[in-house]
Amino acid sequence: MLFLMKRAFRLKTEEIMPEHKELLYELREAIDKVFGGSLFVREVDTGSCNACEVEVANLNNPYYDIERFGIKFVASPKHADVLLITGCVTRNMLVPMIKAYENAPNPKFIVTLGDCTKDCSYFKDSYAVEGPVEKHIPVHLHIPGCPPEPRHIIEGFLKLCNRWER
Amino acid sequence: MFIEEEVEGSNLYSRVRDAIREGFYLFGMVGSDERELGRGFAIRYFFMKKGSVRVFILRTEDKFPSIVSLCPSSKNYEKEIRDMFGLLPEGHPDSRRLMLYPENWNPAIHPLRKDYKGEKPEFKVYGRYTYKKVMGDGVNEILVGPIHAGIIEPGHFRFSLAGEAILQLEIRHFWKHRGIEKLCEGKDPKQVLKIVNRISGDNAVNISIAYLNAVEPLLGLEPSERVKVIRSILGELERVWNHVRDIGWLFMDIAFPLVAQHLFSLQEKLMRFNKSLTGHRFMFDVCELGTVKVDFNRDRERDLIDLLEVIEEEIRQVEEFALETPSVRDRFETTGRVFKNTAMELSLCGVCARASGLERDTRVELPYLAYKDVNLHTFEEGDVMARFLVRTREIYESIRLIKLFLKNLPEQTEKANKMQKPEPYSWNIGNAETPRGNAFFFVMFDKDGKIYRLKYVDPSFRNWPAIQYAVLGDIIADFPLVNKSMNLSYAGNDL
Ligand code: SF4
Repeated sequence: MLFLMKRAFRLKTEEIMPEHKELLYELREAIDKVFGGSLFVREVDTGSCNACEVEVANLNNPYYDIERFGIKFVASPKHADVLLITGCVTRNMLVPMIKAYENAPNPKFIVTLGDCTKDCSYFKDSYAVEGPVEKHIPVHLHIPGCPPEPRHIIEGFLKLCNRWER
Repeated sequence: MFIEEEVEGSNLYSRVRDAIREGFYLFGMVGSDERELGRGFAIRYFFMKKGSVRVFILRTEDKFPSIVSLCPSSKNYEKEIRDMFGLLPEGHPDSRRLMLYPENWNPAIHPLRKDYKGEKPEFKVYGRYTYKKVMGDGVNEILVGPIHAGIIEPGHFRFSLAGEAILQLEIRHFWKHRGIEKLCEGKDPKQVLKIVNRISGDNAVNISIAYLNAVEPLLGLEPSERVKVIRSILGELERVWNHVRDIGWLFMDIAFPLVAQHLFSLQEKLMRFNKSLTGHRFMFDVCELGTVKVDFNRDRERDLIDLLEVIEEEIRQVEEFALETPSVRDRFETTGRVFKNTAMELSLCGVCARASGLERDTRVELPYLAYKDVNLHTFEEGDVMARFLVRTREIYESIRLIKLFLKNLPEQTEKANKMQKPEPYSWNIGNAETPRGNAFFFVMFDKDGKIYRLKYVDPSFRNWPAIQYAVLGDIIADFPLVNKSMNLSYAGNDL
């Protein structure tokens, strides 16, 4: 077991996003200031290819450990400040997405993640697709990319703080 | 490579029975609307036995005999053909819809018929899906999803419990149905490749290899030996990072987050390497028609080998840790068992098949690209431990293969040959072993060289039903563990 402990701690101190240190500290300050220390996020997949989900999940790995800044992924939309939506909104997921939206308490922010959410990307003309997201619920911020990398998602959260402040 | 045979409704049953007796198993059923060509609807049954493929073609106007009683793995294929083409599988035990939901879709509209032009029916409730009901004293139900608690894809799971033990699990999928097969029709093969990369993002490389294996021969393209080897390396690299992540999730669910996070940081290392090699963390769009976008040089080879040596060393320690730690063995062993005969009846593939004693791996059954002499690792137990060990052993095997490929990387010789227009209405199949199992494509071109019909079968489409058997008798707290040990895709399944 000790072999792991040593490695994990070395990672934390030496290898975490050396190129984005500034960004991470800025994010912590912004969340402290704007949201009083924590931001709860509920991820909702409306028809992604799963790569967007994988990148969101990666935010919790030891390289990014996004919970340090107060960003926590929660199990229910009822606990959420932010709905982070991925995917092109399939016909079958439209109703669940709207239900999740309705169940998130006010005030709430909707962030869309990945090109699929913005214009349905490659899936635009399908009979089974009802997107984009903004056709159905208000969207406050879009994070582009296919999929956006973890650092882009972190940058996105920072932008969100700045907008909320204004 | 394959033997085709036209069959009638009346002798289908006996032909399928003979094939199964000879050791063939069903790995794909493809419907297609060929009425414009004066050939009615065609249903193609693809059976495989190591090294050979047998195809039965059945032509029909409205209905076809169900083979579920003979070959249970045909169940969802037949339902799919009913939804998509409106053909009736006679004698099918389940009349409910599969991917088109009665809650929002007019059941009279069948999108893969050629006369369907894409107009959407009004969004309203046309009917209700009825779930199976378990009755009796003290039976209770737990409903989960479609939106789950974690950062994962949507699907609906219904557990019926007697006390703690799971009596029945019913899964309703296809929430993410994007209509990909219809979307590909009328597009050229290059455009479709982009979509193919986005069927199931974490398996993008291997799925696109399967697609290219189908279309390249029809287009008269033969990738150079170097390209073939590089594609194989990328495919194995994808397998390594997928397996590392999947093993990580197992430890997350049994209260060993330290091991899990350690593996996730290895996954991150691998994804960063992907990015430095191909410009993309998931290696999207790296394979192109006839070629591949990356090349290796000395430095890159060295970096890759160094990284893989670290990974192998770490995974060996994790494996040793798992085998030596009683509480890990307690959770992994005998949990989520899929017995060999169940695996056979359901025509499982990939990790799930190999963990249940079936020697199934496309790299061995229908070798492609640079693969030869791949060592298979199979276990008889069919439990979480077996699937864990299949993954660790496959990581070592993939690393061995990558090193071998790099050592024997041929020089780039001839320029990629020129693309030809495919024969009108010619078709082909393509296979590849993704980290989850066999990916299967059927592609037919039209007279203008565009896609006329594309069918994709994801390994998860075959393997999802196995979870319903694996959890029986287990406690509900073991479900996440069983689920993660298979780590099936929703996106690829729902299509
Ligand atoms: S944006 Fe790209 S990566 Fe994200 S779900 Fe869509 S296709 Fe997949």
